[in-house]
Amino acid sequence: MRTDPSDNGGLFVGRRPGTAPVRYRRLPQRGSAARQRIDRYIADAMFAAMSTLSLFCWGPIPLACLWIGSQVDYYSGSISLGILAAFAGLFILLFGSLKLMRGLDEGWILVRRAAGYDQRGGVLSRVFAVTAAICAGAFGIWFIFIHGPGQMVSSNQGQ
Amino acid sequence: MGLLDYYRQFDGVPEEEINRELREEAAERRRKALTRVQTIDLSQTTWPELPHPNIANSITFIARRGLQLYPHLRGSELRNELADRHGVDPARLIVGNGAAELLSAATRALIEPGQKLITTWPSYPLFPLMARRAHGQAVPVSGGVDALLAAVAEHDTRVVAVASPNDPTGELLGVAELERLLVGLPDGVAMLLDEALIEFADTQPVDASLALLEEHPRLLVFRSFSKAWGMAGLRVGYAIGGPGSQELLAELEPDLGVNELSQAGALEALRTAGELLDKHVHAVAVERIRLSTALCKRGFEVSDSQANFLWAAHPTLDGGELAARLSRAGVLVAAGGGLGEPRHVRISLRNPVASDRLLAAIDSTLAQPEDGAQPEPEGNAQPEPQSEPESAPEAA
Repeated sequence: MRTDPSDNGGLFVGRRPGTAPVRYRRLPQRGSAARQRIDRYIADAMFAAMSTLSLFCWGPIPLACLWIGSQVDYYSGSISLGILAAFAGLFILLFGSLKLMRGLDEGWILVRRAAGYDQRGGVLSRVFAVTAAICAGAFGIWFIFIHGPGQMVSSNQGQ
Repeated sequence: MGLLDYYRQFDGVPEEEINRELREEAAERRRKALTRVQTIDLSQTTWPELPHPNIANSITFIARRGLQLYPHLRGSELRNELADRHGVDPARLIVGNGAAELLSAATRALIEPGQKLITTWPSYPLFPLMARRAHGQAVPVSGGVDALLAAVAEHDTRVVAVASPNDPTGELLGVAELERLLVGLPDGVAMLLDEALIEFADTQPVDASLALLEEHPRLLVFRSFSKAWGMAGLRVGYAIGGPGSQELLAELEPDLGVNELSQAGALEALRTAGELLDKHVHAVAVERIRLSTALCKRGFEVSDSQANFLWAAHPTLDGGELAARLSRAGVLVAAGGGLGEPRHVRISLRNPVASDRLLAAIDSTLAQPEDGAQPEPEGNAQPEPQSEPESAPEAA
């Protein structure tokens, strides 16, 4: 079995794809050590913002949209209008958040580079996947043990 | 630098943009490669084209047959073929590793320390060198037969070495003039006639000088396969002497003969490449007239060449300067400084395309301002060169 990743059977001549150094138009003038330290903090803050926004996409934003839909339904008396408002809100907020996160991710790459890291790509996809897993896990715990079957099991036991 | 600009400088060039730039660079390289004109070398007197394929085939055959044995010491088959071709006794013909080596061997065999070798000048740069290596002294002479005879009478002369056609002037010493020279030479003076370029001459039969061997046994004629035959890499030449020259010729022969591959190539050339040789010679003769006329029209002074090159001088421009300018225009010619006459350049003849390239380069070159011509050196007799020539002599 071949285990050497560089043994590619001659498929790639020269450098492996995706491993080229970042090519700049002109060599960047990096700031002082203090500035790089500040840039690291800024990058961490941007990462936190991205994570928070991503977490919002899996819970608070859909819940907020359901609340908006219910309010529209309550005041207009039209359930269709409420559903429409809920979907429209969901669409706008989710895609707005994604666009904002993408911008943050691109900025995060530049700030990381300014902080002295050889940052080739963004982190958004991994943040999105991890927050999805966290939210799915949290929902499962809540659904199974706190709200759903747990209550049903405990109520059956009470009869 | 603003805050955002500071961070924007860390933005890498997108892959699409890099690829577009790489494609543009590749297209530019391809365009330059297609439009680049190769330098053409008209400074060598060797034939520029490949030899007849049969020659390579015969060499390959001999190589595959086996090279474990010594070749025939006297190259009997090649020697007999050459003797038959020239109509001479095979005993009076020897084969060597190029005419240059045979000429050197002859000089070493003939000259005693301190004796003189008279030669025309400018001429084959090997002549002064071989006299020095034989502990003799070369006396270069400018002029014709009379100047040579005067120099012979003046010095303790043992050898007269003449190239005909002469390199670099291309001038042929006709049979009548050659006979006058031989008749005028005192007893004890041998004559080495280098006919490495004789195949290119068209004003007299190729073997005209060989007829003099019968009456002038002091004459040795040297021929080569390096020039018109186009086999300089094989290093094959031969020498023909008159009656009674067998003993001297035996001294000149390489001790262990000529290598078998070279013999095979030369023999095959004699048998199958005669037609190709005629084509070479004819092409050179046509081009010699055309280029000579074109250069004369441009004010050049061109010698009456019978070789595969022209010896030309511009009225105002020094030969070295002209060669440098032509080199910048992509045409290499041999500057005369290293060949004994700084005013001149030696221009090899190839084909109409090469001649047109040369003429176009000359026209563009002469349109540039001149920056450093040197005056023509005066004087008939030239002093012996004190050091090695600027360029190594081309072996014949």
